[in-house]
Amino acid sequence: MSRIITEAGLRELAEAWLRDGQAVAGPSEVKLGLIQYRPITAAARLLFDGFVHPANSIKEFFFPRHEPLYRYRLEGSRVVLEDCEPPAVKQLVFARPCDAAALPVLDHVFNWDCADEFYNRRREATTVVTLACSRYDDECFCTSVGLGPAAEQGADAVLFALGGGAFEVRPTTAKGDAAFADRTEESDRTATPFAGPPRRVALPRVEFDSPVWEDATLECLGCGACAYTCPTCHCFDIVDEGNAAGGMRAKNWDSCQFSLFTLHASGHNPRHAQPRRQRQRIYHKFHIYPEKFGPILCTGCGNCARQCPAGLGVLNVLKAIEASHAEHLPA
Amino acid sequence: MRNIYRPELMQVIDARRQTPDVKSVRARFLDPAAGRDFSFRVGQFGIFSAFGYGESTFNICSSSNWRDHIEFCFRKTGRVTEALWEIDEGDTIGFRGPYGNWYPMEEWEGKNLIFLGGGIAMPPIRCAIWYALENRERFGEITIVYGARTVADLVYVDELDKWAAGPGVRVIRCVDPGGETPGWTGEIGFVPMVFERAGVPAGNSVALVIGPPVMIKYTLPVLDRMGIAPQDIYTSLENRMKCGLGKCGRCNAGECYVCKEGPVFTMEQLSRLPTDY
Repeated sequence: MSRIITEAGLRELAEAWLRDGQAVAGPSEVKLGLIQYRPITAAARLLFDGFVHPANSIKEFFFPRHEPLYRYRLEGSRVVLEDCEPPAVKQLVFARPCDAAALPVLDHVFNWDCADEFYNRRREATTVVTLACSRYDDECFCTSVGLGPAAEQGADAVLFALGGGAFEVRPTTAKGDAAFADRTEESDRTATPFAGPPRRVALPRVEFDSPVWEDATLECLGCGACAYTCPTCHCFDIVDEGNAAGGMRAKNWDSCQFSLFTLHASGHNPRHAQPRRQRQRIYHKFHIYPEKFGPILCTGCGNCARQCPAGLGVLNVLKAIEASHAEHLPA
Repeated sequence: MRNIYRPELMQVIDARRQTPDVKSVRARFLDPAAGRDFSFRVGQFGIFSAFGYGESTFNICSSSNWRDHIEFCFRKTGRVTEALWEIDEGDTIGFRGPYGNWYPMEEWEGKNLIFLGGGIAMPPIRCAIWYALENRERFGEITIVYGARTVADLVYVDELDKWAAGPGVRVIRCVDPGGETPGWTGEIGFVPMVFERAGVPAGNSVALVIGPPVMIKYTLPVLDRMGIAPQDIYTSLENRMKCGLGKCGRCNAGECYVCKEGPVFTMEQLSRLPTDY
């Protein structure tokens, strides 16, 4: 037996959260042909099927593009600080499995040694419902990084499209159970397993000193689109917004692809050229992060390639690394 | 909610111009309890802020024995340091820290100490010098070689004389050729050459070398010729930082987050890291 919910039932669920004053986000058509994860104010805006992957990721519901950390106010030479906190509402987020799978990965960096409660508060307040995939495109490579079209990592419940506007619901946590309590019907229909994209690359050993960086990443424009749309990229800047009388200190998204990212005050820049910055991104994902925290910093969503104006992306660079290893095999 | 990004407020008790573009600042915690609870080890850094402008990372250049206040020193080079340049006694600044690792002063006990600094790199050495002088009996001979481009670029000049007056302390000042003034009594030349000429005995020594990359590059072969092993040569990296907490993702050299596992490294450790600094 399985539990099923109709598309109308999913919209009712979303409407119920909105009526309660909670937040709901998910894939939504922002304009013709552009699907993004967005906070929605009407459940009719949610898309549950009919697309491969939104053009962004769900990380912004946990790690916003712009997060006020505290406000400051100057009273003469006295400074008054006021803490900022994430909004105290629950969130319901509909996501692809490759986006949800980024969350347990990001938990490591935001909690090692000291905890970033801005992230943790949002994480605790959120129920993630994943929409298992039933199609893929040329950029999808979840199966090459140990995930798949119905990966459960980071999900509180997984939905499988059964056709005819029905979805099988498989809750994976108490949060997921609670979200769907009394909203499903028993059924003998179950989802047909879907294999997802073929394995496109065997994860190669990523080396710091390699000619591949110059060769494979010279086209990179340094725009940062890969990082901004990546579910796992999490670099940020801390800046003041305001003036000498008052304002806020905020955490804003940043990217290792920008030339100013590592520029020293002296003018020295350890990553002075774009291939070095690309190296940092790939090396971070496949060497640094797993060395430090265990999991790799990539879920194979393919957004980096979909959004890259120069046709790069993680998969292409991994393939280039794999090819360079093959070239250098001893005869 | 515990906010790891929120700074403590400090009151500036002294702001002093060291050179035409370098200032040193003394500051004290506004909250007496924060001041009582605060402790650090020499070599650690703080993230200092001018509200409305932002945060900058500097070494805490006072000795860890000084309980009344902390000090930092900076060159005016950007938005935040231009704002900090304007602060004066009584003003309020922000401080987060201490962050990072420190000089292993206990391991250095019983050894001769060689301090080699260039330009604005004297402050992160100064904290260790004062600490060593305040615990003088624990350390052997102390040699300090400090150079800058010109006489006007030397910082903490008044303290060089105090250090030189200590027992078993040799202070060598130098400026780059052309940087001397008519009354200059120090050496003329670059730190590595002046240091080699000085013929400092190298046995049982550790060296702390901080300065511009070019100074470090030419100093290492001198130390090598003297027989000082890479694991006895220390430096402090200056990678750009924002959070200081191992999260924001910019200060790393390979899997080493300089804000957490650094900024203090031996040359032996650096030789095993990717050259991303």
